[in-house]
Amino acid sequence: MRAKAKLLVFLGLVAIYGLLIPSGAMAVREIKIGVIYPLTGGAAAAGRELRAGAELAAKIANNVYPNLPMTMAQHAGIQSLGGAKIKLIFKDHEGNPTLGADLAKKLILDDKVDGILGCYFSSVTKTVSAVCEQYGVPMINGSSTSPALTKRGFKWFWRTTPHDKWFTKDLFELLKGLTEGKVRGVKAIPKKEIMNIAAACEKTEWGSHVSQLIAQFAKEYGFKLRKSILYAAKSTDLSSEVRSLKAARPDVMLFASYTSDAILMVKTLKAQRAHPKIIWGQDAGFEKPEFRKTLGDNIIGILTRTVFLPKVVEIKKLAGLVNAMYKEKTGNDLGGASARAFTGLQTWFHVLEKAGSTKPADIQRAANTIYIAGKELVVPWKGIKFSTSGDELGQNVLGSGLIGQYQKQKDGSVGLEIVYPFDVSSADMIFPFPGY
Amino acid sequence: MDILISSIVAGVLIGMVLALVALGLTIIFGVMDIVNFAHGEFLMIGMYTGLLTAKAVGMDPLLTLPVAAAVGFLLGVICYYGFVKFLLRGPMVAQLLGTFGLMLFLRNLALLIFGSEDRALHHGLLVDKSFDFGMGVIIPATKLAAAGLSVIAFVAVWLMMNRTKVGKALTATALNAQGARYMGIATERMNALAWGIGGGSVTVAGALIVNFWSVNPFVGLLFTMIAFAIVALGGFGSVPGAFFAGLVVGILMELPGIWDFFTYTFDSDWMARVPMTSFKYTFVYLAYFIIMVIRPSGLFGWKH
Repeated sequence: MRAKAKLLVFLGLVAIYGLLIPSGAMAVREIKIGVIYPLTGGAAAAGRELRAGAELAAKIANNVYPNLPMTMAQHAGIQSLGGAKIKLIFKDHEGNPTLGADLAKKLILDDKVDGILGCYFSSVTKTVSAVCEQYGVPMINGSSTSPALTKRGFKWFWRTTPHDKWFTKDLFELLKGLTEGKVRGVKAIPKKEIMNIAAACEKTEWGSHVSQLIAQFAKEYGFKLRKSILYAAKSTDLSSEVRSLKAARPDVMLFASYTSDAILMVKTLKAQRAHPKIIWGQDAGFEKPEFRKTLGDNIIGILTRTVFLPKVVEIKKLAGLVNAMYKEKTGNDLGGASARAFTGLQTWFHVLEKAGSTKPADIQRAANTIYIAGKELVVPWKGIKFSTSGDELGQNVLGSGLIGQYQKQKDGSVGLEIVYPFDVSSADMIFPFPGY
Repeated sequence: MDILISSIVAGVLIGMVLALVALGLTIIFGVMDIVNFAHGEFLMIGMYTGLLTAKAVGMDPLLTLPVAAAVGFLLGVICYYGFVKFLLRGPMVAQLLGTFGLMLFLRNLALLIFGSEDRALHHGLLVDKSFDFGMGVIIPATKLAAAGLSVIAFVAVWLMMNRTKVGKALTATALNAQGARYMGIATERMNALAWGIGGGSVTVAGALIVNFWSVNPFVGLLFTMIAFAIVALGGFGSVPGAFFAGLVVGILMELPGIWDFFTYTFDSDWMARVPMTSFKYTFVYLAYFIIMVIRPSGLFGWKH
């Protein structure tokens, strides 16, 4: 009889324990995050970088690295979920928005993922986030920069990276700075010398928005946009586009290109002997290791906006340590894509840690209230905090951008130096563009 | 003025290369009345052949043309004996669907072997070099060489077709296969030869084009469409027609540059806002459509 009573008490305690502990946390040993990137096709090089960035963040989150001064590295797994490990399930969207949406459905319905990370291409992020919104599955986006993505009022979508409106404004601030003598190593130049602008942007969601922003800011800052072209990123020949740009006789040429088209564009500019005073790329292809490796010294003097440059390592110790791990893994330095993929997954870690559950509603609440301090991040931002009201729902309001310029390094290689913001510039800017 | 001249020159040069692309299609159609939907895929194979041979052997890409020609000729002959020969027994629709299937097969085979990434030549005697002819006309050396070599290849095929016994036998087969057979011409061998010449000429064009265009397994579709437009404009089966239509199509592709000339001449804001470069292939297909409606036999159609 006494034994029976003991058994009853034990079962009662087990039942009470079961009721007290959130169901999401009880059986969790693995958190599945679906990661959708372009792993083949024209942006495959970027896809490899993104994948490596996300994988490195997962590795750090799932293991202990006491020498890394970041919360994610101090414990193995997510503590509030009983040390659950993050498992990444990669899918390849090939740059195709429809395929991306199908993959998102598969990840949600078949793989039962707890959340999604991706997708680099704004056009694919758009369709994938619509699927997530439909199924009520949280999605964190680390590297798509079309401003429209956070203007849709989605409740299950959060973006860590700053978007193109900020980046494009940075560019025009740099041009304005050139006329005011604010740029390191360049004396103030008359505005008429850099007045005429020509732009060529790839014509998906991302590039077409950048094109509109360039037109908007050119007007706002008093520059003349002489030519604006949209082209297909999968183009195998851009000679007529370059001829058209050249015919506008621009002082400044602006581009929004993915990897293979960025390389093709610069090669065609060289073949057509186009020689503007400034060439600026809106990150993406202009910042990829392939761009640098393929074009070598030809890109000296070309500017690109980014959110991460190897020079950041000199400013942030944490960035240096993570960069060393990334370099060991891939042979390359962290770049804008990989650093943001890393940060995207890191955000997932913090959100899950704060949620303490895999229930979508708990994750949603955690994401909406999260604050990750800048010192935790490899990117030079003030931190991560998502907007929960206004017209940019889910947008990180603490991010910022950089503009780098390819310059010859002491070891003879070609690397990026920070030229904007002016107060953190790491070298004198080369002006005008010296030619190929 | 420089944009006008450079656009026309660029159009003529690329037109010469495109004429070579279309030559194979028009020969195959002329001899056998078969429309080869896999024509662009043959070109894609030519591009990969040029690219990979140059990289593997370390030779200049322009020197890989004989290899590309041999690969294309063999591919054409193998396709004929292994596949097309059997299609000829079926109705016209079987021939159309058959070469369409061949297109899908070759494209997916390339996808399997090479992956979907763009590949391009970054080194070579002429790669990245250009000639300044003054007046703002700058011609990339690779395009100039490709155009010159295309004309040579085109003329060689034309001479072969018109000045040799084999060529005359091919023409006889094209005009009346049964009659040619009665005259002792091995028409089946002529059919295979047509596929061989068609394959060889388009792979040579591919090996030339890869000097300035990047290649991926999907690049063929664009060229198939352009080649169709050229053949339709020039007249199905007409070799000289293909050449002149190639030039016309090349210039049509450069209409955006000609538009730019007028834009800057008149300093017109609304003209500058028209996204002409986005429609550069539209003019080609429009011309294709118009000629099919007005004159289905093409400008130089000779056979029917």
